[in-house]
Amino acid sequence: MEFPAALFPSHFGAGPPRQEGGPAPAAGWGELGQVLESGPGRHQAEPAFVPRRGGTGENWDPADAAAVPCLPPNASCWVPSVTPQDILYRGVLHRKLRESTFGATLDFAKQLGYFFVDHPEDAFGSLGQLLHKNFHLGNSNLRRPARESTIRMTALMEEIERLEARRGCPQKHLISRLRWFSHLCRDWLFEVPLGLLADCVHEELLLQWASLLFDDSPTGGALAWLPPEDTRAHVGRLVYPRGQAMNHLYFQDMVLKEGPRAQGSPAQFELNGRIRQIAAARVDGEDFVGVRSDYHCGVWRVPGRTGAVPTPLQVIRTSVPASCLTVSPHLPGELSVCTQSGAVYLWSVETGLQQVRHDPQTMFFRDHSPWRWSDFTAHPRVLSCADRTGLQCLDTRVPERCQFDLFKVGEEASCQQGERVVLPMYLGKAHPSQHLVTTQFSVYVLDERLPLVPVLKWVHMMKDPPLFAHLIPGGSGRSHKVLLGTACTQELLLLQYRGERWGLGDAYSACRLAGPPQKLHSIAGCLQHLPAQLPHRHHLLQHRLSTPAAGLAATLQEDGSQESLLVFQLSEAGDVFCQRLTHKAAQPPAPATVDEATTAPGSSPLFDSPPSPAVPSPAAALLYRRWLRALFKGRREPPRHAWPPTLGQKLLFNRKELEATPSALQQQARQRLRQAMLEGGRIQRWDPTDLQTPALPQPQKLEGGPDPLSTRLTAAWSGDWGEEERTSVKLAQRQRALREQRQRQKRARGRRSLSASFTSSLTYQSELSELSDAGPLQPTPGLSRERTPPPMLTASPSAPPEDELLSSQSLRSRGIPKERRRTLRVYLGVWDKPLADAPEPPFSQTSQTCIPSSPSQLSSASQPRRKRPRMGF
Amino acid sequence: SSYEHKLNFKKSKEVCLSYIQDAMLQKQWERAAEFLTSYIESLEKDYSREYMGPSEIIWRTGTEILCHHSHSSMKEFNSFMEQMKILGVKRYLKVCLEHAFHLLCNGLIDEAYQNLSLAESWRFGEQTVIQDKEMKLIQAYRGLLDYYKWSKQKNILLEHGEDGFEDLSVEQEMHSCFRNAAVNLKEIIKIPGIWDQFVKCYVDLLEFYGDHEEARKVLHDYAYNSKFPANPNAHVYLYQFLKRQGESKKSLISALKNLHDAVPSHELMIDFNLMLQKSKKRKKRRLGLEVIFAALDYAGWKENVKAWSCLAKQLKQIVMSEKHLDWLKHEWSSRKDWWPAFHFSRYLGKRNWQENQSLSYEKALVAGILLGKDDKYFKYVSHQGCKARMKRFRVLKKFVHKHNPVYMRISG
Repeated sequence: MEFPAALFPSHFGAGPPRQEGGPAPAAGWGELGQVLESGPGRHQAEPAFVPRRGGTGENWDPADAAAVPCLPPNASCWVPSVTPQDILYRGVLHRKLRESTFGATLDFAKQLGYFFVDHPEDAFGSLGQLLHKNFHLGNSNLRRPARESTIRMTALMEEIERLEARRGCPQKHLISRLRWFSHLCRDWLFEVPLGLLADCVHEELLLQWASLLFDDSPTGGALAWLPPEDTRAHVGRLVYPRGQAMNHLYFQDMVLKEGPRAQGSPAQFELNGRIRQIAAARVDGEDFVGVRSDYHCGVWRVPGRTGAVPTPLQVIRTSVPASCLTVSPHLPGELSVCTQSGAVYLWSVETGLQQVRHDPQTMFFRDHSPWRWSDFTAHPRVLSCADRTGLQCLDTRVPERCQFDLFKVGEEASCQQGERVVLPMYLGKAHPSQHLVTTQFSVYVLDERLPLVPVLKWVHMMKDPPLFAHLIPGGSGRSHKVLLGTACTQELLLLQYRGERWGLGDAYSACRLAGPPQKLHSIAGCLQHLPAQLPHRHHLLQHRLSTPAAGLAATLQEDGSQESLLVFQLSEAGDVFCQRLTHKAAQPPAPATVDEATTAPGSSPLFDSPPSPAVPSPAAALLYRRWLRALFKGRREPPRHAWPPTLGQKLLFNRKELEATPSALQQQARQRLRQAMLEGGRIQRWDPTDLQTPALPQPQKLEGGPDPLSTRLTAAWSGDWGEEERTSVKLAQRQRALREQRQRQKRARGRRSLSASFTSSLTYQSELSELSDAGPLQPTPGLSRERTPPPMLTASPSAPPEDELLSSQSLRSRGIPKERRRTLRVYLGVWDKPLADAPEPPFSQTSQTCIPSSPSQLSSASQPRRKRPRMGF
Repeated sequence: SSYEHKLNFKKSKEVCLSYIQDAMLQKQWERAAEFLTSYIESLEKDYSREYMGPSEIIWRTGTEILCHHSHSSMKEFNSFMEQMKILGVKRYLKVCLEHAFHLLCNGLIDEAYQNLSLAESWRFGEQTVIQDKEMKLIQAYRGLLDYYKWSKQKNILLEHGEDGFEDLSVEQEMHSCFRNAAVNLKEIIKIPGIWDQFVKCYVDLLEFYGDHEEARKVLHDYAYNSKFPANPNAHVYLYQFLKRQGESKKSLISALKNLHDAVPSHELMIDFNLMLQKSKKRKKRRLGLEVIFAALDYAGWKENVKAWSCLAKQLKQIVMSEKHLDWLKHEWSSRKDWWPAFHFSRYLGKRNWQENQSLSYEKALVAGILLGKDDKYFKYVSHQGCKARMKRFRVLKKFVHKHNPVYMRISG
């Protein structure tokens, strides 16, 4: 390949970067950078110049208003990602610390506390079983024979309650009783020694925090497109991860014509680790697909013809997490692997692993990140190795001797201070000796033949470091297209660059950017185009759609004269969305629609419709509806083992109580609720400490003595707990219920699942989901909504009170000890079961529940409340 | 309170900027322009000490919008640029330079020249390092434009010279252009950097006035000064200069040898190989073999018929003379484990045959010599060739079968 006859002028310096600054909001605009003579101009005598940036590019317009789902949702995946609120310390101390020089304060004690509450069996299992007969947690006095060997813990529990209530209070003093108890049992009560456990929790917290700040494990992206061998065929294959833990590898045939859609059933492989990266390259008409998870890397071979079955070739296991896997575009069955220990391997399916380098230190200056990357170069035996400080090329035949620096974070490439390499990529398909390097600020194109000096540099202005990149090579006279994608913010940017022969001359032109960068739709952007949802569902959906992106792929499709670019984006939840960009061959004449002379002074083009369509096409709308249906359907029927324990509610409330005709007050409450749901708002906050809620429905004195349940519900509804106390059911009734609960709990002890505590909220949510599955509420003309409530609302008034019954305040107000409340919640979980459901034997399912590595996997189903982060327990 | 007011102002500034950014990234230039007019208000209370203040943001976004806005004209663009120049002292030179670039790309060479001259005369206190660099670039580009003026006048003069008519004023102007250009171009190429077009122009000037020694020195420095980046073009320019000067083979070879060491995949390697093959010295012929093998290692050369025919020719010579088989063995030993899969797979045989028969002929010859008569690439291509009744493929087959023992010797 020819080298450009002349390069754009640039200064060259050596040493560390001198330019200060940080992310600058508009730094990528406005500059042409440099100009270069491009041969004689129009008037022969005058030279013509081309700019390094700002030349004209191709016109690619989005065909639809937002990205559309191109595969059914990954229904089993509802694991929420960790957020800073989950693990940061919040309270008085926090505010103090924030003002001081300390950075983030991790709430270590909270996490440890969660562990004790969520995993009591693991934390105190054996001693708990030994001692539980000797601890009395109820309110009643102990009888004679029992008193000999049993301690009443109620007072201690109350102390703990009070402590909880004063959480965050600066005047908090430890109560001597508590201190006495903790001194007494600290050494023997815990199943795992407390110090060891604390170390583990702390380590995990630090890891989680680091990955929250910047998670580099998905670098490279876990989505690949395998084009058909015959480029005219409109069929290709998409490779992506799925499943609850994203550990299932799917090879799905896709038809591109008339929107990409799946054809036939995918080939599936179950792996034993979360898939972090999927890399693919085509050699000799066969695709080689490399799959990286933390401790395993595998390679599959996919024959080029459609419908051929992918065959797994080899798997390797690493003792340190692998950070990179790339597939050679030159030789079949060759890959390169990097681990976080700083080792780089050339992996050949035939000859095995060859260590090319092992260096825990970074290359050009010290950087703490263990991230390493390597890729192939124009020479099949030369690998490029990267860490955060730069790139080096080394010959795998003589790795120690034969190496040169390709890119350095420094003055050589006019980097900024603090700039770090995020993703290198070999651009072999566009030009055999070019490489792409992205940093958190800029994107560079490098040429192996001109090391250290980027042939192209552009400040990309993305809000997050671009972890994914995809190249669509342009043919003769066309621009090469590069897609950049970020993880957390889901940004997608389309760049075009050129480097081709000048018109008639024989000279090869230097690399230059073509056209302004273009932002593409993100997955989250389609939220506004989805049919309106109930608030809690909307929230779930919002959460689902804004999960970080996990991969990026694209393909060109030609349909007659119409060329289109299909861009696939994968989210961490396993959903694949797609958008189509159509190519406009020639620049259309100046648009006549926006005429400044004729627009009225008041109307500005600011909020006019953008060039991309403002509303999704009917086909897209249909796709959205289908996708939503599939998404919520998947949630409605959790797998058998995850069913919540079903219990008879007769023990708490008799059928009469439950089925009693609603009173006027209840109807009023229902109406209020319905109104709130329509508006997407809420009636009040259920937090009793919040005294500012203005629209409190006034509790009314009840006439005619309604049934006790209604009274309680109504009182609970209004948040007046004192009232409830006064008018509540008789004490004896309550005691009886509690006694029975305790017996049940005893029976269930040892078998109770960890997830049980979440089931109540889970079922509550799932019921509401079912109710709202009918879609957004449509006002029925001719029918007064008050008189004929839509069927979806018939059960709703009971749901929030149920939540209230379960709330710890209400339970506490009844004097139910803390550790009993969960049991009660489990009982009350039956509330949302349809009455027709035959009650199953109590706890018949519980022993089989659980299973996910952490309880939050199940708890995540109830999104409206923030859940704890998934920890590594 | 005023603090709150400031905070709100800052917030709305940020929001406004994000709107501008969003519109620009979606190519909604009219929309972005509307927002920008509101954003200009942010200049009013610009107390920011941020890395990039609003005035720079306005310059950058404004320039970009004006470049793409359907209603903008060069006149508007120029007046916007003039305003931007007075908006920030620190950025004056940068804006001037960018303005000149825009003018140059629009073919307004004279306006650009005026702009650069004006910027060159600008003085403002102590210059920072960056401003110093920008000033050097401004001077260099002015030098470049002087060079184009010079070459225009030179052409006029040459045309008129043919007519036997000399214009003294044109000649004088031409010489003054030369002086202006030479001074500025000479300055910039002393500083480490990539100055391909400046070096080319400067050398052209020097050559025209017969200062070959200076030209050689300039090119030599450009290629071998260790403070400069390893630019392959520097070696190419030197080689081309030496060739123009009719220098000896030896100096040409040494220039290309340096290029080979830096960039073994450079396209001049074919010329280099041809030059070396013709040499009588064994060492040079051996180097030639190394050069062509090294070039064919690179993916970009995979389908280069010329390179394959160079290699085939040299291999044929070696095999027929049966001398220097050790060279071949040496070169092959580091490639025999991956060249077969890289160059001589059955798939490639099929594809090369379909797409380019002369390429497959050369490659088949190489494969036959290096991998023997049973190699699948050779077998496929020679079979297809014989089937198509092409004489050269029959000859090829015969040749390879005859010299099959060579394969045993080099691979053993």
